[in-house]
Amino acid sequence: MKYISREALQTWLDRLANDVTLIAPRLVDDILLYQSVSSAREIVLDYTRPKMSAKEVVLPSSEPILFVEKRGQEVSLTEPSSGAQIIFGLRPCDAHGIAVLDTVFVGQEPIDLNYARRREAITLIGLSCPQMREDCFCTSMGGMPNDPTHFDVLLTEVEDGYAVNTVTDKGRTLVDHLNLEEIKGEPAEPIINETESVLAQEHWPDLFADHYWDLLAERCLECRMCAYLCPVCRCFDVQDQVTQQGISYSKYDRLRCWDSCTGTNYRVVAGGHNPRATKGQRLRNRFFCKFHYFPVEYDHSGCVGCGRCIEACPVNIDIVEVMRDISRAFNASQISNASPDAEKGVTA
Amino acid sequence: MTPYLGRLVGKKDLGTDIKLLQVELVEPNGKARFADYRPGQFAFVSALGIGEAPFGIASTPSGNGLLEFGIAKVGSVTAALHSLEVGEIVGVRGPLGNGFPMDEMKDKNICVLGGGIGGAPLRPVIRDILDQRSDYGHLTILWAARNPSLLVFTDEYDLWRSAPNTELHVTVDEGDEEWKAAGGNEGLITQLLETIAPSPENAVTITCGPPAMLHFVTLTLHELGFSLDQMWTTLEARMHCGICKCGRCNMGDKFVCTDGPVFRQDEVAGFLETYL
Repeated sequence: MKYISREALQTWLDRLANDVTLIAPRLVDDILLYQSVSSAREIVLDYTRPKMSAKEVVLPSSEPILFVEKRGQEVSLTEPSSGAQIIFGLRPCDAHGIAVLDTVFVGQEPIDLNYARRREAITLIGLSCPQMREDCFCTSMGGMPNDPTHFDVLLTEVEDGYAVNTVTDKGRTLVDHLNLEEIKGEPAEPIINETESVLAQEHWPDLFADHYWDLLAERCLECRMCAYLCPVCRCFDVQDQVTQQGISYSKYDRLRCWDSCTGTNYRVVAGGHNPRATKGQRLRNRFFCKFHYFPVEYDHSGCVGCGRCIEACPVNIDIVEVMRDISRAFNASQISNASPDAEKGVTA
Repeated sequence: MTPYLGRLVGKKDLGTDIKLLQVELVEPNGKARFADYRPGQFAFVSALGIGEAPFGIASTPSGNGLLEFGIAKVGSVTAALHSLEVGEIVGVRGPLGNGFPMDEMKDKNICVLGGGIGGAPLRPVIRDILDQRSDYGHLTILWAARNPSLLVFTDEYDLWRSAPNTELHVTVDEGDEEWKAAGGNEGLITQLLETIAPSPENAVTITCGPPAMLHFVTLTLHELGFSLDQMWTTLEARMHCGICKCGRCNMGDKFVCTDGPVFRQDEVAGFLETYL
């Protein structure tokens, strides 16, 4: 592992900001966000977790996926291009989230060319968390506050500077010419929270029909904040937008925008039928997606344990509490199967 | 996610607010992609500037070389598609989804049950069977709609009726005077199904229609002695990509777009979520 001093890091980041689009934690109206920066000065280095995940960089909240030009009856279609971007200061949970999105969008045929094109040009330079926040649970989702797995380069703070762990060839091409020295000693281990257990995916269907989901959803406002903040939630809508409309010449953008399965009309089909008509069914889909559907479909949890949805939910729907409730209910049902008098279900 | 360009070359009324759109693909790569597609597959059709939506392909590659879609006007995209003039350009993305396993149905007696616009994705099934008539057993077509004006492909009834070893039965929930005068059937497709009572012996069924119809047809077929693994259906779901990315069309851990839209009822029965 190499070492970079604080000063050398500033110089390097300034150069990166000059050469490519550099995204890094930056304060916008007192809210910390992964945003493009023009110099190292703008970057916040002492932080726990930006308000939003870095999903926005790989899958923007709204992006054109097709440009349509119509001249008379002649139509031409153009796909958008994408330039080089580096995300600096990414937390391991957010890199983990991007890795899960990679699995969905490019890990399975047919791949999403739009996502692939942008993602190909993105390099991830991480910054380890010295300790987990109270609402963080990355260690319960297979992550670690200093997990280098999903980065190209991971920096970990040491005295007067950072340990530099170069993970991929993409990272090496960025770091090699810096001629960094070998680090003396090892960075400190992060302070971690107690691990929460999540019920194995194959047992979740046992709790599908439980009344729990309706009770939990009674307070859900369907604000969809949880999905928008989530590094993994990837549901999107596609809409056409007219950007220029004339008699002989028109331009349209086909936009892809974030969406969320907890929204009322999410599943409504032509004719008005809604197979997921209740809030309970929709909220259940959110948690089943994370802990059952994702593991079945992608062999990976649909949650990385960043804790953002816990912090943001206006009615305190807490994903860790849901994990606990479901585990407890399953265990109780196992006991009650053995002894018929015991209470069943989460809400028993 | 980028469509192929196609030209609208024909537009016919199939019923009240239901049109058949005929599209000729203009680019060689689009034509190549659609050179071979199966009954039951679907495609997204774009009204450029308004949006795109998925539709079961109502034609077969063996037909007139055009892609055909039976489209009911139910929203903004379908309204825009209805209002297009012949000669205008549309986008077409596909073919998508699995399609009906026609090979598995060879030599079997087949009962096709179509409800309303649900008849559109079944037309290529009927065409495919009629094209290779001797490969399949007896064909029973049960065709239904809420009222006579919503029955689709009525101009093909004679073709279907005159095909060897083929019968067609039509019913509407409520007939108009003309329908009643002509002695047409009135009642739900399940009542017609009970009356016709096809034998489950060496037979399969293929159903497409609204969720309630799928549900009750399945129950009736069960009463007639059909097992779930003899019943095929094609499901509808709202979707935006068709390639298992947008997350919209899941039924439990299954995606209608890539795991379907064609499913056997025993698979559907195993899903965590229902289409109802």
